[in-house]
Amino acid sequence: MSSSPIIELFKEETRRSKSTFRQVYAVIWANLKILLSYKYWVVTDFLSTAASIVMYFFMGLQVDPAQLAARGYGEDYAAFALVGISTSQYLWICLSRLSHSIQHDIRGGTLETVAVTQIKMGAYFLGQTVRGYLISLFFLAGTLSVGLFVLRIPLQINLSTLTAAFVTFLLMILSNQAIGFITAGIVMVHKRGDPVTFMLAGMNEFLSGVLYPLDLLKQFPPLYALARLFPYTYALDALRKTLTGGAGMFSPDVYYDLVVLVAFSVILLPIGLKVLKWGYDTIRRNGTMATY
Amino acid sequence: MKTKELIGFLRKEREDAKEAGVLEKVAAFVARDFKTWWTYKLWVTIDVLGTLTFVASYYFVSKIISPEILVEAGYGSDYLTFAVIGVAFQQYVFSSVSTLSESIRSEQWDGTMETILSSRTSFRVFLLGESVFRFIIGSYFLLAALALGAAIGVKITANPWSLLSAALVAALLVVSHMIVGILGAALILKVKQGDPIVWAFSWLTQLFSGVLYPLNLLPAQLSWIGAIFPLTYSLDGIRRCLMADATILSPIVAEDVVKLVVFIAASLPIALKAFRKAYDSTRKDGSLGQY
Amino acid sequence: MNAIETSGLTKRFERKEDGKKKPFAAVDNVDLAVEEGELFGLLGPNGAGKTTIIKILCTLILPDSGKAFVNGYDVVKEPDKVRASIGWLHGETGGRALYWRLSARDNLRFYASLQNIHPDVAKKRIDALLEFFDMEEDADTLVKDFSTGMKVKVMLARTLLPNPPILLMDEPTVGLDAASAVETRKLLKALSTELGRTILFTSHNMFEVERLCERIAIMNSGKIIAVDTPLKLSEIMREKKAVEVRISETADPKTLGLLQSIEGVGKVIKAEIGEDSSLIQVEVRDEQEAIASIPDFLQGKGYNVISIQRALPTLEDVYMKLTREPA
Repeated sequence: MSSSPIIELFKEETRRSKSTFRQVYAVIWANLKILLSYKYWVVTDFLSTAASIVMYFFMGLQVDPAQLAARGYGEDYAAFALVGISTSQYLWICLSRLSHSIQHDIRGGTLETVAVTQIKMGAYFLGQTVRGYLISLFFLAGTLSVGLFVLRIPLQINLSTLTAAFVTFLLMILSNQAIGFITAGIVMVHKRGDPVTFMLAGMNEFLSGVLYPLDLLKQFPPLYALARLFPYTYALDALRKTLTGGAGMFSPDVYYDLVVLVAFSVILLPIGLKVLKWGYDTIRRNGTMATY
Repeated sequence: MKTKELIGFLRKEREDAKEAGVLEKVAAFVARDFKTWWTYKLWVTIDVLGTLTFVASYYFVSKIISPEILVEAGYGSDYLTFAVIGVAFQQYVFSSVSTLSESIRSEQWDGTMETILSSRTSFRVFLLGESVFRFIIGSYFLLAALALGAAIGVKITANPWSLLSAALVAALLVVSHMIVGILGAALILKVKQGDPIVWAFSWLTQLFSGVLYPLNLLPAQLSWIGAIFPLTYSLDGIRRCLMADATILSPIVAEDVVKLVVFIAASLPIALKAFRKAYDSTRKDGSLGQY
Repeated sequence: MNAIETSGLTKRFERKEDGKKKPFAAVDNVDLAVEEGELFGLLGPNGAGKTTIIKILCTLILPDSGKAFVNGYDVVKEPDKVRASIGWLHGETGGRALYWRLSARDNLRFYASLQNIHPDVAKKRIDALLEFFDMEEDADTLVKDFSTGMKVKVMLARTLLPNPPILLMDEPTVGLDAASAVETRKLLKALSTELGRTILFTSHNMFEVERLCERIAIMNSGKIIAVDTPLKLSEIMREKKAVEVRISETADPKTLGLLQSIEGVGKVIKAEIGEDSSLIQVEVRDEQEAIASIPDFLQGKGYNVISIQRALPTLEDVYMKLTREPA
């Protein structure tokens, strides 16, 4: 232990390398490494989604195909459930991960240590968000493969449906990420976000028709109205109309869903970013960037 | 209070002290757990909402299901009732078993387990105390789910003998899953990792115990897996009583009851022994309070 | 230019009292100036406001009123420039503020990227710092498996990594073993004297502060109640003049009583009587005069005087007195 090598090293003039890209990459890289250190968790999380697909595959054998076909979702309940479960799980993991890791950073004190570095907080939140989507993509691909290749669930796959599904998917992410920003902003201030995202995810899953066709809700107008407040409801409808019903992007139903999703994104994203900024400013004012 | 007075007080106390019995100790565990639980009011509300949404979800799912397969399996034609009973009981045992292992894990983590076991409380009382509250609170949610279901169309028998029989099967279900919980706890003490066990239990039972579909739907090479789990027999017995007016005197239900009793008789000593062994071995290698 | 300067700096928080929220000033109208290259210590009891000041200087907490400048930059208006000028040591002794599921090296790499340090430079510095803290062998172990002291070392390395002109350190040596604490102090001293780095740190270790700091500020209830060099602070505090005598044998209490018979010597303040040495402190009218007369007197009584000097209150005495007085 001698301080002279360090003093010598620190005397050197060194160039700084300013790169937002490298910062965002570092956030993604570090958090991926952290996640992968929870091996059990990664495996069990994947397996439970896969297991639920298998479960609904068997349950679907009892479903009356005419009920689905009449609503433009094809005839196969397993395909219907596969699209619903895999995408709702995907969204849930993405959204909960952002608020969860912010909460973790606040409790562990690492949010403060990040905040005093030269990273822009926007770049930090971007890194956290992108990381969430990348990891969840792995889960999504996994569950879809279990459905397609193990259970041989038939999906309508061609250029037209895939393009439509891809566009829907992007809009689904954009509009829901706005909600993710809002919850993350609230989490920072109130320190208990999990219940909020948890409830949102539960409502989303129940009201958006993950397990049953949405228009069954019509017999309860207040529930149906509530369901239409969630962007995921429209995304799921469009994804199913294309992937299980075979419709293209410009079929009227799908087109309508996409327009609504664009509207949601345009309205919600600025609000989400505002709430996120409000949350960050508030904890700096309150001095509660770390709670032990 | 000054030192002298406190010493005097303690001396006098010692002379007319009474020993607490097992019942008082278990009650103390329940009171402690209830108070802790109650501080998480937000989560309590969310749990209630969760119950509400799952019952409502299956209401809608039941609308697109055709009942032939259910009828063929002998459960009547009402899918909503079938699913609500299945999910409610599966959740009931899953949450009881998982919270037991979680609480053992966190007691070990916080070091409170060492404190409790260094007091005059045997590990049997400790286990009983840890599990009782989970089953009480689970029962509350179970009944809430059934009541909610009844409000939206779940049809349950009114025959008192069938209800009584269902209650008996449910009691056997509780006892058999306390044993599963203890086995899980023993494993956790040893490997310090609870999630995989609880996970496996949850998903295997959901897939193979016939929670959402009658087991005759499963291909033959998979259906045997359900036979391992007491939940499979319990669900079958409870459903036949509540949905088809059977009683424990009906041969199929009687068979379920016998299987459950055999399971309990065989596994209780094994579970207690396993826990004892795990407990002793953690004491030997000094990892009782390790994290 | 002062490296750190605050004027009228104030921050209020709310605190629950009898179920009602009441505002209290964690930092109350603080004026502070730390010169470039200075090693400056901030002392005060728990809750005095030390950490809040440091966090305001780090741009982590926004002040309610007043100004604060770090390296000439306003902490509210130019936070990016402030952050490029500082290294901050998190005052969390449990080592919580690290990623426990990353290795020591990965933690440092991550922060290096965030601090805009070029990867080649970062690698050299990380190796040097890990070597300094004797952690080469554990560099790739996950932080969660580290002892408290090792976590502190990683946190210290992270603070030093960007090689900033100003270091803000909350209790830098807490949790370190004695040898590492000594080396760390040497390093801080060298950074200040050889490289002209400005170091502001808080501590509860009086000995450390007294040895290391050029100047000290003592805080209580959000206010700075004294700023000066350790020596000056001791002198200010001295209400009465006194000298301290050490002799090489057991002192007889009767003889001590006789000390008062010397011209200009007052009563005995303190007497630590041991088997083979004793320490006696007495009030005097004039120190020089007493330092000349007392040894003669004691030697005349057959005692062997080892040393005699002016008695200064220790920093600890100063601190205890200042922080006990109502602010």
